[in-house]
Amino acid sequence: MTTSVDPTIMEWLKTEVVPEGLEFKPLRENRVLVRVKLEDVAKLAERFVKKLGARLSHETGVDREQSGFDIVYVYDFSNVKNLVLILEASVDRDNPIIPSVGKVTWQAVWAEREIKEFLGINVEGMPDPRHQFLPYEWPKNPETGLPSDLSLYTPATTGIIPTSANWKPIGIDPTTARSSLLPIGPYHPGVIEGQTVYVRVDGEHVIDADIKTGYHHRGIHRLIERRGYNKGVFVAERVCGICSAAHGLAYVTCAENLYDAEVPERAQYIRTLLVELNRVQSHILWIGVAADLIGWKTGFMITWGLRERVMDIIEAITGNRVNYGIWRLGGVSRDVSQELAMKARQTIPGLKEALTQLIPAVVDHPVVKARVVGVGPLTFAQAFDGGAVGPVARASNWKIDTRRDNPPHAMYDPRKISWEIVVDDHCDMLGRTLVRAKETFVSIGIVDQCLAYLEKTTGEIREKPQTIEPGSEAVGLNEAPRGELFYYMRAGGTDVADYMMPEGKHNVQGSNLLQAVRIRTPSYRNNAIIPQMLIGSALADVPIVMGSTDQCLACTDRVEVINDKTEESHTLTWEELVRMSQKRWRS
Amino acid sequence: MVDVLFTAVTMLIMVPVALFAGILYVFLFRKLSARFQWRVGPIVRMYKDLAPLLGTSRILQPLYDILKLFGKDTPVPDISRKTIFVASPYLAFLCAFLAIFFIPFPGVPLLSTMEDSLVIASYLLIGAVMFTILGAASSGSPWGAIGARRDVEIFLIYEVGFVVALFSVGLVARSLSLWEIATRPGLPMLILNPFAAVLLFLVILGKLAIKPLDMAEAEAEIVAGPFTEYGGKHLALFQLMKAFLFYDMIALFITLFLGSALSSILWLPAYIIAVIVLLFFITVIQVLHPRFQIAKGMSWYGRWVLVFGLLTAIMVLVLRFYWVV
Repeated sequence: MTTSVDPTIMEWLKTEVVPEGLEFKPLRENRVLVRVKLEDVAKLAERFVKKLGARLSHETGVDREQSGFDIVYVYDFSNVKNLVLILEASVDRDNPIIPSVGKVTWQAVWAEREIKEFLGINVEGMPDPRHQFLPYEWPKNPETGLPSDLSLYTPATTGIIPTSANWKPIGIDPTTARSSLLPIGPYHPGVIEGQTVYVRVDGEHVIDADIKTGYHHRGIHRLIERRGYNKGVFVAERVCGICSAAHGLAYVTCAENLYDAEVPERAQYIRTLLVELNRVQSHILWIGVAADLIGWKTGFMITWGLRERVMDIIEAITGNRVNYGIWRLGGVSRDVSQELAMKARQTIPGLKEALTQLIPAVVDHPVVKARVVGVGPLTFAQAFDGGAVGPVARASNWKIDTRRDNPPHAMYDPRKISWEIVVDDHCDMLGRTLVRAKETFVSIGIVDQCLAYLEKTTGEIREKPQTIEPGSEAVGLNEAPRGELFYYMRAGGTDVADYMMPEGKHNVQGSNLLQAVRIRTPSYRNNAIIPQMLIGSALADVPIVMGSTDQCLACTDRVEVINDKTEESHTLTWEELVRMSQKRWRS
Repeated sequence: MVDVLFTAVTMLIMVPVALFAGILYVFLFRKLSARFQWRVGPIVRMYKDLAPLLGTSRILQPLYDILKLFGKDTPVPDISRKTIFVASPYLAFLCAFLAIFFIPFPGVPLLSTMEDSLVIASYLLIGAVMFTILGAASSGSPWGAIGARRDVEIFLIYEVGFVVALFSVGLVARSLSLWEIATRPGLPMLILNPFAAVLLFLVILGKLAIKPLDMAEAEAEIVAGPFTEYGGKHLALFQLMKAFLFYDMIALFITLFLGSALSSILWLPAYIIAVIVLLFFITVIQVLHPRFQIAKGMSWYGRWVLVFGLLTAIMVLVLRFYWVV
């Protein structure tokens, strides 16, 4: 499993890519950690993205308690070399200001907004300084509780006192848009998940668009940090119900990269099998949702009926339909017996045939074609700058796939499993539909090969994990059905304060808690570029364009009541909500 | 006097009959589309263990849905034009309801013997849609406004087809009384002028908002379109209107093109078969298609209405001047 970075790449890195680097540390697989000075990060981003064609996977920060913050940039150089570069810089705790990379590339904008809210680090010169998770009109800095330039409506920066009257989503001026500003969301029948897309329409024509997410932030990062490596995977699986296998695999890949992991071959096959079955059901699900979004209930019902067959296979293998719970560090917890593999494999040809009949019927339907051709255009340049991932990027003729570029700890070796990356040059809804339809068949091919291996062999499915060095870092990448999924972990044990430990014990080496885990889901990236796709389309196409990224916004929320005169806030409890509803019905 | 009394009695009987027929049509439509979509749909014979709880059959499910709505709160938005907003559902319902008296049922002429019953029926059917649009436009909701706008756009197309189809039959039959048209001797109009039949069928698709022409009520795009702000008994009235409209349109089609099926009550089985065939075609079209985007849908619909409108007009000229009917 462990491969060290090629010395020529290290040399290239030291001389050409980051000569400014203070410290070079090769990590496991193709990851290299480079420490730089904070002043250099914007300059380096410009060089990486504009000159060398790298992709910013994610930008995030780690709170190191009294030692300040670490700001972490992860660049993927797979367009040029087999390299993932982790760039780190220290930030002073008393003066937490970092230069903005969002000015250089749009890929960093949402990440910087997140850093600002999570860690209270100010980003200098960011192109979009609005709240990411809090409502736009939220007046205070969530970290310090003080009014700050985080809010658009802080008197210090804008002179506007926040009231409900001057509330506006930015980008759209309320004086000109009052009559034609349509809020699609937070809970709209078109996209049944919590987000708001504001569109300004002229008749049926969308002339401006804006997106606001953050309606159900659950604090999953923190939940995992407090649970430790082994239990964290179960939380990670619950980030998303549809691509739970992708989250499980990305998590274990990341955690296994913290130590010298060996994963048995059989376990790798089982992992691949599950992730690909997951992709098949997710893509079929998407085709159904897309059919529903253009008003075709029949297509929706029939594709979801077929999806049940895939779900049955998953259920037979793992015992579960949604969260499989079989991911373990160093392997998997459940074997797929030879008989089960044989039985499952017998259902594959029938499934393939049903899909071969159905998918062309969906894709070639004349009215469906009228609804998808030329809708929601996204050029290669827009996709690259916006940081699109997964089928959205591949439909814009960009051949990226994490399974090839930075394979997770599963069986994607082209010498053992034959598969291909599907790309399409339509750059619109049609392209995205075709990519997903073809990928379904590629995934079924992989599933078939995995089952063929499993029905012939037996073997170990799990290796014991080893001790994790305190302070070690790792990046785990995986191709989820919606695109590249990113996990970053830093092992605890060096900076974690003693208050996290039980009474009388001190935090020593070998603590089984993480200092930080950061997740960047593919929808996080694709959602950020939805407004670009929306502008210029017809109102009727808004739901399908939004749906074309296969959004996955995780749920769970609580109700907060804010009095905007006194700015007092009070969280409603469940009992209060019940009482309110009873009161309403008795009156 | 006896005639008047007979008409009055049949009209009284017709109210529950038409209501039941409309509900049954909606049920058949729902059941058929459910079967096409691998679903169960409203259950005809309830499972034995659930029968004590849910009744022996759910054929009247569309009626139960409407009754349920009557029992709910009826909100009226503050920013709406309240008088129009509240009056619209009643007027729309009234139009669709009154139309049943001007369209004959097998063996029962009702008011269709009146000289201009064709004109009156067509006005009432237009009125039902007009008041729906009016209510949506006065609701103050952007979704309602967009729904109303789309409704107007599509209304402008199918009303042209509607008028052409209706009066083509009237011109050939040399009468504007639906009963006279229906009981006219000779070949049925479906054979004489099939283009007009296709044209009226296209109009039915638009008028009943059958996919791919349900842009006005596009539920995933613009919430519920014209009905966004309506709830409670107002929405129930709109749904009742829909049931009656279903009955009206299908009865009108049969009257105009398969008139001999109405001459006697003994023709009822033939009437029922015609209804089922029409419903089957409507359902197949509904389940086979996604919704058009409004601009593309308009051009598609407009094109076919225009083509069949012209063919109908040519056919009428031929029939009227060169064919002794």
